[in-house]
Amino acid sequence: MQESKKIVILGHFGVGKTSLIRRFVSNSFSDNYKVTIGVHITKKVVEISVGKNISLILWDLEGTDDIKTIRSSYLLGTHGAVFVFDVTRPSTFQNLNDDLKITTEKLPDVPLIVVGNKVDLVDLTDLNSILKENNINSDFLSSAKTGESVEELFHKMATLLHNHA
Amino acid sequence: MNEKDKIEILKDILFTDDREFEERISKRVDMLERTVNKKKQLSKKVDPLIEHQLAEFAKSIPQTLGPTITATLKEEIKNHKDEVVDALYPVLGKMVKKYVAQEMKLLSEKIDGQLGFLKSWKRKFKSIFSSKSEDQLMMDELSSAKIEQVFLIEKDSGILKAGYVKSKTIDEEMISGMFTAIKSFVEDAFEQKDQNLELIEYELYQIHIQSFVTHYIAVAISGNYSLSSKNKLQDIIFDFYHRYMAMNLDLVFDTLNAEKKIIPVRRDTLERELAQSFGNARI
Repeated sequence: MQESKKIVILGHFGVGKTSLIRRFVSNSFSDNYKVTIGVHITKKVVEISVGKNISLILWDLEGTDDIKTIRSSYLLGTHGAVFVFDVTRPSTFQNLNDDLKITTEKLPDVPLIVVGNKVDLVDLTDLNSILKENNINSDFLSSAKTGESVEELFHKMATLLHNHA
Repeated sequence: MNEKDKIEILKDILFTDDREFEERISKRVDMLERTVNKKKQLSKKVDPLIEHQLAEFAKSIPQTLGPTITATLKEEIKNHKDEVVDALYPVLGKMVKKYVAQEMKLLSEKIDGQLGFLKSWKRKFKSIFSSKSEDQLMMDELSSAKIEQVFLIEKDSGILKAGYVKSKTIDEEMISGMFTAIKSFVEDAFEQKDQNLELIEYELYQIHIQSFVTHYIAVAISGNYSLSSKNKLQDIIFDFYHRYMAMNLDLVFDTLNAEKKIIPVRRDTLERELAQSFGNARI
């Protein structure tokens, strides 16, 4: 029987959360209502080993500059979280460690993956030194535009959840 | 002049002031006695007159003050419409709702009466061509609400635990997530932690939501979803939940049992039972 897991995608405005999901999930219905209720839900089945699938229910939460203001009820029952920042906008990662601390407080014991998105727009050497300067450890550097690391990050999440259960 | 007379003359000279004072007090006491007696007499005569006048005045208020009060009220209502509506709505709302429901029922009965003749002929023809009896057709007409889809959803995560659907629609797991998001949004927005969203209306469909402690059941219904349909549906939901889900709650509340293990019910078992409970149900 296929397991289903709830994943929340968090991050500031315009970091590319929705684009990452669009790149990962091909079938999706209109996300016009995201503006209204602040969330868009999609699904993707990931094969973690031969014959073993996990259904990821992705909750794409509306971006916010203050992570504390996220609607707590949307985080209830979360199995895994992906925190996305924009590598081209320092304002989205300068307080990343504080944001991550708040996230883990809100979601204790939940696997968390940190992703720096829009990596196609920067020089990797410069980026690595900036991240080092800001004491940031990201699990993936991705590009929703080119597809770089997108499949991998969600696959990693599925594996983490399978092992976590 | 003897000794006694002399003493009296001496007293007159020595206590003149006291005597005058005594006389003044005596006069005042007399005056007060007269006044009190007069008032009692006056009261006996005047009280009935005042009472009669007051009664007359009360009777004449609508004519004398009515137009002034009405004008003032009109002006107040004109200037403070929102406040007036706010104040009156809770009281009038219920009355209006009851009145409208009653009038609608009357209207509906009148229309039914008017169309009854036509309907019965239509049913007769239908019965001839459809091989169904008139009684069966009448029953079909009466139970026009239909269960289209049922979702058993984990309350917090919005994960679909089991579902029943007559014809395949868009992904049930995504719909379950959206129901949960909408439910959370509405319940949060109104800050009513003890209240649950119960109904979502969408064009010809209505989604009835029945919340329990760990899960909730959402049922998509088409057609005429009346109060009686709602009662029937709730009975089916409660029966189902009692049989297949509430057993876990017994364990949760069983404090004597040290190991509170939740018994997992297999998804295929639940789906079979959902189909059995809801698939052929008439509501």
